[in-house]
Amino acid sequence: MSIFEYNGSALVAMVGKNCFAIASDRRLGVQLQTIATDFQRIFKIHDKLFLGLSGLGSDAQTLHQRLVFRHKLYQLREERDMKPETFASLVSAILYEKRFGPYFCQPVIAGLGDDDKPFICTMDSIGAKELAKDFVVAGTASESLYGACESMFKPDMEHEELFETISQALLSSVDRDCLSGWGGHVYLVTPTEVTERILKGRMD
Amino acid sequence: MSRRYDSRTTIFSPEGRLYQVEYAMEAIGNAGSAIGILSKDGVVLVGEKKVTSKLLQTSTSTEKMYKIDDHVACAVAGIMSDANILINTARVQAQRYTFSYQEPMPVEQLVQSLCDTKQGYTQFGGLRPFGVSFLFAGWDKNYGFQLYMSDPSGNYGGWKAAAVGANNQAAQSMLKQDYKEDMSREEAVQLALKVLSKTMDSTSLTSEKLELAEVFLSSSGKVKYQVCTPDALSKMLIKYGVTQAPVES
Repeated sequence: MSIFEYNGSALVAMVGKNCFAIASDRRLGVQLQTIATDFQRIFKIHDKLFLGLSGLGSDAQTLHQRLVFRHKLYQLREERDMKPETFASLVSAILYEKRFGPYFCQPVIAGLGDDDKPFICTMDSIGAKELAKDFVVAGTASESLYGACESMFKPDMEHEELFETISQALLSSVDRDCLSGWGGHVYLVTPTEVTERILKGRMD
Repeated sequence: MSRRYDSRTTIFSPEGRLYQVEYAMEAIGNAGSAIGILSKDGVVLVGEKKVTSKLLQTSTSTEKMYKIDDHVACAVAGIMSDANILINTARVQAQRYTFSYQEPMPVEQLVQSLCDTKQGYTQFGGLRPFGVSFLFAGWDKNYGFQLYMSDPSGNYGGWKAAAVGANNQAAQSMLKQDYKEDMSREEAVQLALKVLSKTMDSTSLTSEKLELAEVFLSSSGKVKYQVCTPDALSKMLIKYGVTQAPVES
C-alpha cells in the first residue's frame, strides 16, 4: 500500500459566484482500521483563505503548523493577510524544499483574492501547482471525485447551490472509496461570512 | 572616567561597570518616552512620537507600538533600527514556541528569551549592545495580564507601572505616587496620558504626537491588541483635560 493511502482522505474545492466551498471527509484510518471519525483536514489560515491537506495525517498536521508559523510572521511584518495566490506559492516552495524527502501530502488551497475573486488550486507532494477555474480534488477518493465533480459542476453557482453540489459530489465519491468517508466537513465562504457544516453520510 | 575601557563592550571597567551598556542607556534617555500601566482588566501602553513633520507620509503602521504575537505587544524607546531587529527576533521566537508546543508563548518566557539575546551582546562577539528599552504588555493563561520592562543590559523586571525613554525618572516617580491597585483600564489610560503630558517636552499635546495601545480580553475571551485611532485619541485627550477643546469661533 502506498504511503499516501495509509490514512485515507478525500478533499474537494469548488468555485461559485463570488464564493467558494471546500469539503473533506472525516475518516482517519490506519490502513484498514478506522481510528477517528472526526479528523480535521481543512484548516483556516485567515477569514478568506482555507487549506485542505490530504495524504499522511502526521505530515498534514506538521505542514499546517509550519504554514501557520510562516503566515503569522507575514501578518505581523506586512500588517495584512496573505493573498491566496501568494500562499499557494509559499506552500509550493515549502514542499519543494523537501524535494528528496517530501511531505506525503497533497494540499488543496481555496481563498478569496483581490476583489473577493475566488481562487482554488492543488499541488502534488513536491509543490507542482495546478490552478483550476472550476474545481480541484485530492486524496484517495480523487478519481471518483474527478468524475463526480465533472458531471455535477456548473459555473457561477450561488452559494446554496454550490453547497448542495459539493456535498453530493463528496458523499457519492467517498462511498466508492473504502479508505475515506464517515461523514463530511464543508466550509462555504462568501465575502461576508464563513459557514461550516457537517454532513452525515454512510458511516462506513 | 576610565575612557581606556570604553571601546570593548565585553570588558568590565575597574569599578565593575559595563560602560557600553551604560552608554546605550544614555542613548535611550534621549529618545521618545513610553509608559506602561497594568490594570486589572488590561495593560495600557502610551508612547511619545518624537518625529513629527508635515512631510512624513502617514500610514497605518505605528512608530512606538508593535505586535509581537496575538497575545503580546511592546512599546519601544531608543534606536528604532535596533528595535526593528529585536522585534523581528521576538516575533520569530514566539512563533517557534507555538510551533513546538501548539500554544501561545508565556509572556515572561518571551521577555526572558529576548533578554537572553540582548545579554549575549554584552558578553561576547565584540558587538555593541542594542540601544533599545522595551515595555512588554501581554496576557497568558498562567499569570493573566503582565507588564515587563527590559533594558540594553538584558535585565528585565515585572512592573505594575513603568516608564522608559526621555524623562523616565520623573514619569516613574509620578506613577509611583498616582498608581492605585485595582485600577480599571480606563483609569489606567487616564493616568498614562496625564503622566505623559506632564513629562513630555512639548507645550501642547495632540493626538499626532502620541500613540496609545491596549491589551485586553475581548467579550469572546480572546486577547486583543488594539491601537487607538487618532480621532478617538483626540477625544480622550480633551475628555481627560489634557488638551483644551478647540475654541468654537
